[in-house]
Parts: sequence; structure tokens; C-alpha cells
Amino acid sequence: MSNSAIDVPSRGGFSFDLCRRNDMLAKKGVNLPSFRKTGTTIVGLIFQDGVILGADTRATEGPIVCDKNCEKIHYMAPNIYCCGAGTAADTEAVTDMVSSQLQLHRYHTGRESRVVTALTLLKKHLFNYQGYVQAALVLGGVDCTGPHLHTIYPHGSTDTLPFATMGSGSLAAMAMFESKYKEGLTKDEGIQLVVDAICSGIFNDLGSGSNVDVCVITKGHKEYLRNHLLPNPRTFVNAKGYSFPKKTEVLLTKITPLRERVEVVEGGDAMEE
Amino acid sequence: MAAQNKISHQVGEFQNDVFRFDIHGVKSDIVGSHPLETLCQSAKQREEEIKRRILVNTYGTAFPMKMDFDRQILSRFQRPTGAIPSSMLGLEAVTGSLEDFGFEHYLNDPRESESFRPADLHHGMEVRIGLSKGPAYPSFI
Repeated sequence: MSNSAIDVPSRGGFSFDLCRRNDMLAKKGVNLPSFRKTGTTIVGLIFQDGVILGADTRATEGPIVCDKNCEKIHYMAPNIYCCGAGTAADTEAVTDMVSSQLQLHRYHTGRESRVVTALTLLKKHLFNYQGYVQAALVLGGVDCTGPHLHTIYPHGSTDTLPFATMGSGSLAAMAMFESKYKEGLTKDEGIQLVVDAICSGIFNDLGSGSNVDVCVITKGHKEYLRNHLLPNPRTFVNAKGYSFPKKTEVLLTKITPLRERVEVVEGGDAMEE
Repeated sequence: MAAQNKISHQVGEFQNDVFRFDIHGVKSDIVGSHPLETLCQSAKQREEEIKRRILVNTYGTAFPMKMDFDRQILSRFQRPTGAIPSSMLGLEAVTGSLEDFGFEHYLNDPRESESFRPADLHHGMEVRIGLSKGPAYPSFI
């Protein structure tokens, strides 16, 4: 049994090849590059007909804003969406992977995906990687059992709540929710509260900024309001446009052709009989 | 007598060929290069073990044993080593991994690795009939 279980060609996935080398370099006194700080505000709440998700659109990379208008509400299934905070690559990879798993499952069963399925897949994956996959998620959707909202922490623990916030602006957003949330909100009231919470994150948290994205999911229907509110428009744009008279300078024109190392022989040896 | 001298058929993650994979350090073998690596490997084994135990409790010992035989038979049903890797459709259908979709299916494909060495058909067939030691796929990612 033990020597037949491994009888398959090797697969890809995570590679730990360089960990040993990095350890050695760190011991020799090399300063390895440090982590980049990220920041986000993502929220979600349950209203009378379904779920509303909200997110800001600033991608932070340490002291730099590297994208002013990124998407943080990811598609999981036609009735499920997921907001992601943490490392952008991790949140996107994880949500994309799980959305593919859900699609496969739908092909297999021929039914609408349920939110708990997505939740289990996500938390199982995140727990397996012990927090090294840095994705803090707010998962919301409406299925045959009604509207659901869950938060998933990077280590795989989950919460089921009527309103939830995540990311560095979560405290600012939660303050708005705790003061104004009540059961049985209408759609317009819900969207307004989500926008207020995200704006509170945008204006009080340095890691969050730019615009507000909102996603409203109701039974059999969804509405993705990309850039629902633009509270930070560009203050000054030159009416005449910008011209750049000086073209890019050519500094060097010497071209060194690469030496060919492999000789390609046409035909080659005839095959042995 | 010939059957006794036969080297058991091992393909895949088996990496004991010293000439090809260098001498293994004892410490690095035990400790591993990262705590997460050992955890990922043991998690898969543990899951299989739990599944097996559940089957033993519900259907008796004979059932998982029969499944093991199926698995062994299907894992040997492979293409000759070469350009196209075995799809292992039967095995995946039995183990249920046909419905799985994970990082290992689309990230860091060993065939796209810079240290990829194309599989040698001659050597692969020798491994298959038990003339030489595995693995039939020499690349290590």
C-alpha cells in the first residue's frame, strides 16, 4: 500500500526550495526584504432581502498607493460574492480557485452553490496553509436557505454575523455599523449604511482610499455597483492637456548579439532499427 | 526466481536515486525546509487515513482493502513515459480527486519549470518493467 499510493507523476503547487537558502542567507547576516504593509476597508451586511457587500478601491504597498482603483469584490458564484483584504495576490488566487471549485461542483450536482460550501472550501484551504496564505475575507451570498454573511480570518477561523467588517479600516467601519445598523433595513438604507461605513474607512484609515464599490445580492438577482461613489475625484486636471516636447533620450546604440550556445543540426542521426 | 530479483515499481515522488538526486542529508530529511512543507504533506496523509477509518467503521475492513486494490491497479495504468504525462483518469475517479481543483493544478507546473528534464522513454520503460530503479520522471521542480 505504502509504495503504490505515490504512483503518479509529480504535481505543481507551492515549492519550498528556497526556504533553506533564505535561512542560510539570514544567518549570514543578509537583510532580507521586509513585508509590505497593506490596507483595506471591506464590509458586508444583511438587509431585509439579501446581502450587501462594500469595499474601497485603494491598493497599498507599504508607503506607496500602487493602484487607485482596484477591485476588491470578487466573483465566487452567480449568487455569491467575496470581499478580500490582505495580500492582493493571495485574495485573488484563493477566491478564483474556490470559484472554480464551486463551478465544478455545480456541473456535478446541477444545483445552485450554497454559501456554506464556499465557506468550508475557503476555511479548509486557509487552515491548511496556517496563515501563510494571507487572505481575510468577507463572504456573502443568497442561496436556497436565505441570505448569509461570513467573515474568514487568514488562519481559517470563521464568524457568522449580521454585519461584518475586515481590513485595516474595519474599526472605523464597524463604528458606523454599530451605531446605525438595525434589523430589516431596506435596500436603499442598506446601501447608504455600507457607503457610510466605507467612507469612514476611506477618510479615517490611511491604508484605505479612493472610491466605493458596492455589491447587492438578493434572491436570484445581483447588482454589482462598481465605483458607486467617487468621493476623491482628481482635484486638478489641466484643461489644455499635457504635452511632452522632449522625447525619450537614446543613451546607448551599441548592440551586443548573444552568442549561440546550442547548435541545431537538421535531420540528426537516423533511428536504430 | 526472476520475480524475487525484481525491483518494485515506483514512480513519482520517490527520490532515493543518489546519483541523480544527490546524497540526502539526514537532518534536512527529518526537519524539512519549512514547517509548512511537512504540514502540507502530513495533512493529505491524515485526511486519507481518516477517510479509510470511516469506511472501516461503516462497511468493515474488506471494503477499504478492495478500494486499495482498485487504486493500485489503476495507478499502474499509465501512458509510456514521454511527451504526454498520464492523465490518471481512472485513479482520479476512484479517489475523488477528479472534482478537486487546487493550486497544484495551475501554479508551478513542473513541466514549465526551468529545471525540467524531458522524460527518457527508454529509461521509463525500464522502470515500468522493473529493470531499473525509478522514478521514471527525472525532473525535480
